[in-house]
Amino acid sequence: MKRDPVIILIVAMMVSLMLVFALNVVRRPPKKTTAIQTKNGEAPDFTLQSLDGKTIKLSDFRGKAVVLNFWATWCEPCKVEMPWFVEFQKQYGSDGLQFLGVAMDDASPKEISGFATDMGVNYPILLGKEAVGDEYGGVQFLPETFYIDRDGKLVDRAFGLRGRGEIETNIKKILGLNPATTKTSQLTQ
Amino acid sequence: MKPQLRFSIASIAFALLVLSCAAQEVATQKGPTVRLAPPALTSITQGKSMPVELQFRVENGFHINSNQPSEKYLIPTALTLDPPTDLVVGGTTYPPGKEAAFAFAPDEKLSVYTGDFTVTTNVRAMTSVLPGKYEIRGRLKYQACDNAQCYPPKTLPIQFEVKVVKPTVIKKNPAQSPHEHPPTSQ
Repeated sequence: MKRDPVIILIVAMMVSLMLVFALNVVRRPPKKTTAIQTKNGEAPDFTLQSLDGKTIKLSDFRGKAVVLNFWATWCEPCKVEMPWFVEFQKQYGSDGLQFLGVAMDDASPKEISGFATDMGVNYPILLGKEAVGDEYGGVQFLPETFYIDRDGKLVDRAFGLRGRGEIETNIKKILGLNPATTKTSQLTQ
Repeated sequence: MKPQLRFSIASIAFALLVLSCAAQEVATQKGPTVRLAPPALTSITQGKSMPVELQFRVENGFHINSNQPSEKYLIPTALTLDPPTDLVVGGTTYPPGKEAAFAFAPDEKLSVYTGDFTVTTNVRAMTSVLPGKYEIRGRLKYQACDNAQCYPPKTLPIQFEVKVVKPTVIKKNPAQSPHEHPPTSQ
């Protein structure tokens, strides 16, 4: 049987291409998942240490609406939204809102604590672990904020800095408040 | 179909496949990148030092903190080099950061690098080092952000070569005496 050299060339090129591609895939480090592993839409539970040495579980806050914010001291956009969080915690705390900050930082607890004090943070700051970040999709950049309702269901998420209005809308959503309701407060707009 | 035509079609198909693979590779890269332009080979005379310029490029749309960030919590861009024995590096000079405000904090100016920036470091060859090419390895630590989010600190591996050469010996012409001779009286 006479073999067509062009066909042989094509097959050789395809095989070499597939080999290069396969080698590339093998060499590449495994990617972190970006999908959040939820069970029945529930936010993944975790246990982390707070800055004041307490062991805190997300499920301890069942019955409250939780805003879970991943941040770091080196993250300038995180710093922008923190004062808003402080004010929202004051404003909606009595309605059952609880902010939780998870510091995804290499800085020491002392430095993180100093930063939180400088920012006037009035909600628990937890010392983050990569495994917890992975449960929430890998946390490949900061800030990342997750909105969890009173039943522990993950309602919404925000990647990167969002506007204050959008944050408040999400807070009302997890608290079950009418989005149109404006709560008069001491907030500075 | 003529063999030449078939060959052309096969070549185009192959090129398209390669391009699609390359595009996929680019699309799967996440987060910002800082790249080092291939440094020029610097020649250093034994016993002397020479500046080596390392030119970096920050990916468009991102910024990294300068070596002197405007706030204490921000992570500075820093170069660390591990030279081989008998080569000494030091006196690293970073460019001043650009004072820039970003959408996330329009009233606050940060000291950052964007686009291209050059870090200069002095490499000294001890007199004991043998002439030849030497590889210097190191890393650039940086932390990047865009207009709405920040990425965890990254480390860019650095690698460049320097060439150590012998000092140039100025040969003196023996015919020309260095000493001045007074004119001979006749």
